[in-house]
Amino acid sequence: MQRTRPFLRRRSGRRAPEDRGAALFLAIGFVFMIGAIAAGLASVMVSSLNGRATLTVVRNRQYAADGAIERAITQVRNQGGGALSSCSAAGANIVTSLNGATIRVDWTNACTTVRGSDGTPVAQHDVVFSACVDTGVPCAGGAVIINALVNFEQGSTGAVTKTYVQSWSVNA
Amino acid sequence: MLAVVIIGLTVTALLSALANAGHAGNVQRSLVEMDATMRNYAEATKSAVQSCTAGGSYSVSFMPPAGYSASAAPASTICPSVANPAVLDLTVQGPLGVHETMQIIVRTP
Repeated sequence: MQRTRPFLRRRSGRRAPEDRGAALFLAIGFVFMIGAIAAGLASVMVSSLNGRATLTVVRNRQYAADGAIERAITQVRNQGGGALSSCSAAGANIVTSLNGATIRVDWTNACTTVRGSDGTPVAQHDVVFSACVDTGVPCAGGAVIINALVNFEQGSTGAVTKTYVQSWSVNA
Repeated sequence: MLAVVIIGLTVTALLSALANAGHAGNVQRSLVEMDATMRNYAEATKSAVQSCTAGGSYSVSFMPPAGYSASAAPASTICPSVANPAVLDLTVQGPLGVHETMQIIVRTP
């Protein structure tokens, strides 16, 4: 009981010379650690926002391609006896701007023949449409955003009475 | 004393960064949900127009998620003419005051 605690007394008194400035070093280390955490958070936020911006660009491009093909279908339909007059008629293309994207649509005839209910062959005027970002060259390969096969039903005069989408595939 | 000031400033900065990250997370989630809503609304509109006949009208069946709203301009639901596809401006409004717009083209088959 008579013994005091010299060790504790010494620590609560003057700091040993070798401990001087330690708090500052600890503070600076703390700053670096927090800085690293903050930088990580900022990086995650920027990455997330960039990722979402990319999603928006892709979505807008897809719907621009979608709209461009709708417009191309209408153009082929309006031509009536032109593009649809012969299966060997040359294809064509249009360029449409929508949602900030400039889309080129190429189309080619893809005629087929099916047998009607009475067994007689009936010509089918199908057209293949390909949409891609316009670079001045025909759409091909991995650049194609949407491929569509559309059937044009023609009346006795050759005018299109209705269109049927046979297939519609989005590639990107 | 200097160390206390530095640590205080740093902790304040950290809390601020955490708060910003939390807010950014909310905005991010809202924007992604808005993207999905926009796609669904566009598909619903295109699907509705697929049943169009010249001179008729169409009705879009779409229920946006809670807190979101969707609209199209022009608001008219008259089927586009066979010769002229219609350009529609779709807008989706989100819960945090942000909104997105996108154009689609629809036609009468």
